[in-house]
Amino acid sequence: MAAADSPSAALRRDLCSRGIRLAGKMRADVVDLLEAYVEQQGLDASASVAAVEGVPLAAVERWDEQTGTQRLLENLAAYRAFRALLAQMLEEQREQLGEADAGLGRALAAVLLQVSAFAYHLEELLRLESRGIPGEEEDGPPPPPRLSLFEQKLRGLGVLRELAQWAVRSVRDLRQLAKPGPATGAAPSPAENP
Amino acid sequence: MFSRWNWVAYGFYLVLNICSPDASSGLVQSCGHIIPESPVLALGSNFTALCILNESCLDFGNIYASQIIWKIKNRLVPKEQYREINRTVSSVTFNDTSALATPLTCNILADGQIEQNIYGITVTVGLPPEKPKNLSCIVHQVSRFTYVMTCTWNPGRHTFLDTQFKLRYSWPEEIFPDCIPKDVNNSCTITDIQFFVNTEIWVEATNALGQAESDPLVVDPIDIVKPLSPQNVSVSSGVLPTVLKLSWENWISDAVMTLKFNIRYRIVGDTNWMEVPSEDTASPRTSFSVQGLRPYTEYVFSIRCMKEDGEGYWSDWSEEKTGITPEDQPSKGPPIWRIIDTSRSPASCWTVHLVWKALKPFEANGVILQYEVTVRDKSSLSSPVKKYNVTSTNHTLQLPEGTYEVTLIARNNVGASPPSVLLIPASNSKAPVKNLRTLPKHDKLWVGWTAPNSYVLKYVIEWCLVSSSSDCIIEWQIALGDVQGIDLKGIKPFKCYLITVYPLYADGQGSGQSVKAYLKQDRPSKGPTVQTKKVGKAEAVLTWNHLTVEEQNGFIRNYTILYKTIDGNETVVTVDPSKTEYTLSSLTSDTLYTVRMMASTDNGSRTGPDFTFTTQKFGKGEIEAIVVPVCLAFLLIVLLGVLFCFNKRDLIKKHIWPIVPDPSKSNIAQWSPQVPAKHNFNSKDQMYPEGSFTDVSVVEIEADDKKSFSEQDLKPFDLLKKEKSTSEGHSSGIGGSSCMSSPRQSVSDSDEGETTQNTSSTVQYSTVVLNGYRDQTPLQVFSRSESTQPLLDSEERSEDHSGGADTTEQRQQYFRQNGGQDETNTDRPCFERTKQITHANEEDLVGFVQLQISGQSSQPLGLGMEKNTQEAALSRVLQTCTEGQTVRPETVEENPLSVDEMPKSYLPQTVRQGGYMPQ
Repeated sequence: MAAADSPSAALRRDLCSRGIRLAGKMRADVVDLLEAYVEQQGLDASASVAAVEGVPLAAVERWDEQTGTQRLLENLAAYRAFRALLAQMLEEQREQLGEADAGLGRALAAVLLQVSAFAYHLEELLRLESRGIPGEEEDGPPPPPRLSLFEQKLRGLGVLRELAQWAVRSVRDLRQLAKPGPATGAAPSPAENP
Repeated sequence: MFSRWNWVAYGFYLVLNICSPDASSGLVQSCGHIIPESPVLALGSNFTALCILNESCLDFGNIYASQIIWKIKNRLVPKEQYREINRTVSSVTFNDTSALATPLTCNILADGQIEQNIYGITVTVGLPPEKPKNLSCIVHQVSRFTYVMTCTWNPGRHTFLDTQFKLRYSWPEEIFPDCIPKDVNNSCTITDIQFFVNTEIWVEATNALGQAESDPLVVDPIDIVKPLSPQNVSVSSGVLPTVLKLSWENWISDAVMTLKFNIRYRIVGDTNWMEVPSEDTASPRTSFSVQGLRPYTEYVFSIRCMKEDGEGYWSDWSEEKTGITPEDQPSKGPPIWRIIDTSRSPASCWTVHLVWKALKPFEANGVILQYEVTVRDKSSLSSPVKKYNVTSTNHTLQLPEGTYEVTLIARNNVGASPPSVLLIPASNSKAPVKNLRTLPKHDKLWVGWTAPNSYVLKYVIEWCLVSSSSDCIIEWQIALGDVQGIDLKGIKPFKCYLITVYPLYADGQGSGQSVKAYLKQDRPSKGPTVQTKKVGKAEAVLTWNHLTVEEQNGFIRNYTILYKTIDGNETVVTVDPSKTEYTLSSLTSDTLYTVRMMASTDNGSRTGPDFTFTTQKFGKGEIEAIVVPVCLAFLLIVLLGVLFCFNKRDLIKKHIWPIVPDPSKSNIAQWSPQVPAKHNFNSKDQMYPEGSFTDVSVVEIEADDKKSFSEQDLKPFDLLKKEKSTSEGHSSGIGGSSCMSSPRQSVSDSDEGETTQNTSSTVQYSTVVLNGYRDQTPLQVFSRSESTQPLLDSEERSEDHSGGADTTEQRQQYFRQNGGQDETNTDRPCFERTKQITHANEEDLVGFVQLQISGQSSQPLGLGMEKNTQEAALSRVLQTCTEGQTVRPETVEENPLSVDEMPKSYLPQTVRQGGYMPQ
């Protein structure tokens, strides 16, 4: 309880809480953005998209066995990738549509900001864990190959779908981290598997 | 010659220098410049400027730094602030820039005191920006997904300079674009706001003199959100008549923030809002059932929201939506009362007006369709129960006198109300309430009473507006039996209300107790008009009419009568308000009074018009009291006089009609003047030797015709005119009255006054002395007499005493009479003389008039008289008694007879009737 009352614990709790709500809002916004994106790009919502290169999959087999640090690192890697992908999407969007659809561009920019903000939350949590923050250049995804317009649209659809899933996973990860436990690095109990 | 050309060239150079727009790049080069160029200075700081002359001007223009003068806006800067640094540079220093103005110019005072401008700069003075304070931000939700953050701050003091403000915000790893305010300097709105990340916000202010930053505000924008109010609010009614369900939609998804709510509602027409307890709506939801509402009542609802944890701001209230709760059966029966009218009913029969009040909406709980009235005659069990269905709120019945029970039920769509029961007893014989009283309470009139000893079911309070022009329209209200006072609403101020309270018992009704009351009193709207009913000498009866109840405006506590005379003080009398008449007493007679009357209530007075009246000069019966005694006294005096005269008739007769001796029987009738006597009128002593008087006789000569007053008769007057000194001797004793002395004295000179006085003191009586009576030679001597004693008396007495009376004694008697100053002594001769005057015929009067006309005034005749006091007294008495001049002719008339004509008259020539009988 004493640890829970320390400033670092309070900050950690606040960061987790804020991150959870940010991830929740990000998911909601991404879901809305997906609908707008599919409609705007003329895609089928049920179209299957291959995994986006450079983005770790949200689904993991032994999720409940991960430590807190692992969760944070995986989340950070994923959102850094999403930040780059979304920035590229935003640029492509502006190139394609110009100012014709400012609403979709604003929504993309808003999600991009949320991804950046969430990445900031994760970095702060890692600092509280006294862990070094991996360099962005080293872990960042390679520059995407030049794609056709349709491929760009499909990739964008895949990015958004994966981001929506990651948002769900991040909420659960942060909730797991927010629980007062003996050690954040310890693996959670199996009962708390998603 | 050279110098002249030099000056011409210098002037030309200066003109070109001034006219050149760009001296440095133009044809003509400037002679100098100022450093610094157009500075911006802090207000209050010190400042130094340098004016640097070009070398070329030194040689050509022959000007140096010592000739430089500084000016601020054409105002010379004191030379104490100058400093000549070298031959081409001059500086000026200002300790306080607030004294600076634009432009600051550098000028040259050339030879000949010609002032020429070299250069000028613009000086801008201002303040560095202050640190912006009180930075605060709020995030407004604009649409479902759009939020804007507006931050405001206090920009600080005015800087007098162009100051730029920037709102800056950043995340720890990301700096966002600045927000530049437009048209204002104290707020800015950021549109791309992101939640769930602490954002650092601050304000930068910058101008030419510096820069300032506010303290940073670190906040997660989600914590300062003012959300949009819930939309699509709807109200629906359910099965329960006291519940309405409120539904709405939220603008914010739960992913962003969860909300709590406030719900408020009110009855349509009411202004007071009620709120659902906040703890009931502290969780996210989109509907809520409001309970505890009134049936069949229209409500207005409104809702607002904010972040569930209380961080941020409440949204605005949503649009208002209304809903009506379902109907329910009436909650109570209508209050019922009766008004029994016996005046328009036949004997032993009532006209009963049943009246009841419509239920209030919260009691009716729906639309009342009809009322069911049931009347049961309790005095006769066999009488059938009568039922009436009524849609209005009154019903009139003709009922025989008796005891009745009336039941009233109100019915709506849902059901019937509980019955209201009214017992109408045959007589109100129960105990009334006690101590009925009223008390105004703002716009209500409180009526209180003390309950009777018996248990009272309820009270009926009747009231009506008392009016002098219309009937009392009764209003009524029912109070429960456990209260002892109610507030009457709708009471108008300044109006009189008659309030009656009836206690209703289980088995009857008490008699009513009444009281009059005002909610608010004012002074009367007019004053009483007073007038007099009766006005006397010292009192006046005033009368007036009571003010009508509409004019009173309150309880008339008293009347005040104010009355005064025109110039007197006002007297105030207070009169009981029940009276309409008052008697003013102790008034001054025959005086104009002004009276007015004032009616007073608790809140003021009003005076009526003035009325004036005049008190009478005499009181009632006062004239009679004066006139009647006077008349009676007069009559009494007259009566006494008559009686006196009657008793003294002999004496009166003797004076009025004295016994005139018959000359035929007189001794003188035997006398014949054989030897005419010669009279010497010049010497009294000779004429009237003392002791020569032996007898006194009076000879009265009647002149029957005018001849007796012939011219011869008047000759003595002529003689009087000529011989005033001798007139005394010619005064006639004929007539025998001292009053005759007036004319005699009138002819006396003042020189003779002493003589006359001496004479009068010694000779008071004129006597005709006849010496040689009968056989003797008669000696005719005329002696003047001052006696007032009638000669006739002397004659009579002389006769009575056979002419042998002692003259001395007789004279003494006369002296006594004359010497007396009492009125009897003076009146009597007057009276007697007056009687004698009455014998003077008209011819005598004419003779007197002729005497006056003849030019000899009678006034001088009286001058000598005044020297004799006794004669003067007598004269006064004479004038007083006679009140005319009728006496004078007599005296005047007698004189001539006794002076000149006397010797002739003694001549026995003619025997006249009643005259002398010649012997």
